[in-house]
Amino acid sequence: MQCEQFEQALEQQDLEPLPKPALAHLETCEACRALFADFGAIHSVASELAADPIAPLSEHVWISLRNQLEAEGLIRDPQTRSRSVQNISPSWWSLFQRPAMAGAFLGIVIAAAGTVSFLSNSQSSSQSAAAQSDLTTMQEVSSIPAANSVFKEEVLNVSDDSILGIQRQDTAVTDSIRRNLRIVDNFIAMCEKNVREQPDNPMAREYLYGAYQQKAELLATAMNRNMTGGLQ
Amino acid sequence: MNAFVKRNPIRAGALGAILIGVALAGAPARADRMEKHFSVQEKPKVTLRNSSGHIQVKSWSKNEVLVAWTNANGKAIVETEQAGNRVEVDTRMADGSASSDQAKTDFEITVPVESELSVRTDSGNVTVESVHGDMTFDTVGANLQLTDVNGYVVVKTIDGSFVCTRCSGKLEANSISGNVQMIQPSLDSVRVQTSSGNILFDGSFMSRGIYIMKNFSGTIEVHFSANDSFDVNANSLKGDVINQASFKPDTHGTPRPASKWGHGFIGTMNDGHAKVELSSFSGTIKILSRD
Repeated sequence: MQCEQFEQALEQQDLEPLPKPALAHLETCEACRALFADFGAIHSVASELAADPIAPLSEHVWISLRNQLEAEGLIRDPQTRSRSVQNISPSWWSLFQRPAMAGAFLGIVIAAAGTVSFLSNSQSSSQSAAAQSDLTTMQEVSSIPAANSVFKEEVLNVSDDSILGIQRQDTAVTDSIRRNLRIVDNFIAMCEKNVREQPDNPMAREYLYGAYQQKAELLATAMNRNMTGGLQ
Repeated sequence: MNAFVKRNPIRAGALGAILIGVALAGAPARADRMEKHFSVQEKPKVTLRNSSGHIQVKSWSKNEVLVAWTNANGKAIVETEQAGNRVEVDTRMADGSASSDQAKTDFEITVPVESELSVRTDSGNVTVESVHGDMTFDTVGANLQLTDVNGYVVVKTIDGSFVCTRCSGKLEANSISGNVQMIQPSLDSVRVQTSSGNILFDGSFMSRGIYIMKNFSGTIEVHFSANDSFDVNANSLKGDVINQASFKPDTHGTPRPASKWGHGFIGTMNDGHAKVELSSFSGTIKILSRD
């Protein structure tokens, strides 16, 4: 079994034990082991988030999670986002003011960074070569939102218009965090492009990993400033 | 009333003074400079958490910490706490409706020369002079200026700039868009990372020192003199590397070529006593002669 096939098996897993060929592949491929572990971590985070009993790790978990967040007004449909720019509620920030939510998103960020890190570190093994070159295609092909795509959809959007709640505290801080989120987002985009162009370049992956870390730290700072410290 | 004033000018004056006093007492205190003194032993640990305002820390020879503050709008409450050799200072809003501008509080803190510091602030400026001890700074937009400090210094900013003049010891600095400058440092360990900020190191590389400077964009500029002794590994993935030094091939350990990715080189100046790693994603790296 190749990495791509393993990813497909992982998609169809639904909390059932992996098929034997997949298990065999897991034993020999460090990159897929890391991916499998990351998916497990994300699943744990999702189980904390969802109010409903946890369904198996499948697409519908993510859809129901999204629906729930949308129903609570915590996130908006990307298609409606542009329509509602003039009437933005501070919903995203209230999301981040919930420790569980904030922690979950950070967990996803860290899991995404971890995925990149593991893939980066495993480049020396022959099995990981395929995984490396497939970092992006993996996420394009998979129907399960991979850590990186969840990261993009849910977390990167914070940078645009979604942290209005922080204005209550300090507009200078808000502006600073927004500005720097944009900077880090740009770097992430540049690094991702570079990784796609040069999948064998370990430095490109290292920079991408660093950019993810910066993003996670920036979000942690933003949450920390509003939730636990500074002027309350 | 006029007749009363004419008949009793002294009584009228006294009454006026009393009325003014009553009026002033009823008004909230504004821009009053407050201060507190804390007797400490050697090497106290002083922690300050503030939202915005200027923070100045300097040292003296007394075993005492002096914390003085000014809140121009009277909307902030400063709470202090001492437990032995630990002094903590916290600022918080007097009421929920106050804006951060109204809560802006300036501090002047004087500590023994040998002191540990921990400062967290969002905006404003932080200056520290002549303090020896470990220090941590956590800011969002506040600019940080350290002069003649010694110790293990950890700095985290979002877009605040950081200037370290005649600093010695070890430095870890991490910023997103802030610039980092090390002027005449005597640091034997430097780990600096920014995303879009510039990094300047203008000083000597100490024997056994390790200097790691990294950014995504912006410029990394390192000044050297002919007597400096260091190994260097410089690489910019998308940017340029400008080098004025005459390096010989790295003679330590296993010879290795420079990375095939991006622009850069590996080399040694003199005996290579220090280790210098410079890396950038798309920024320019400059290794310039000070002489």
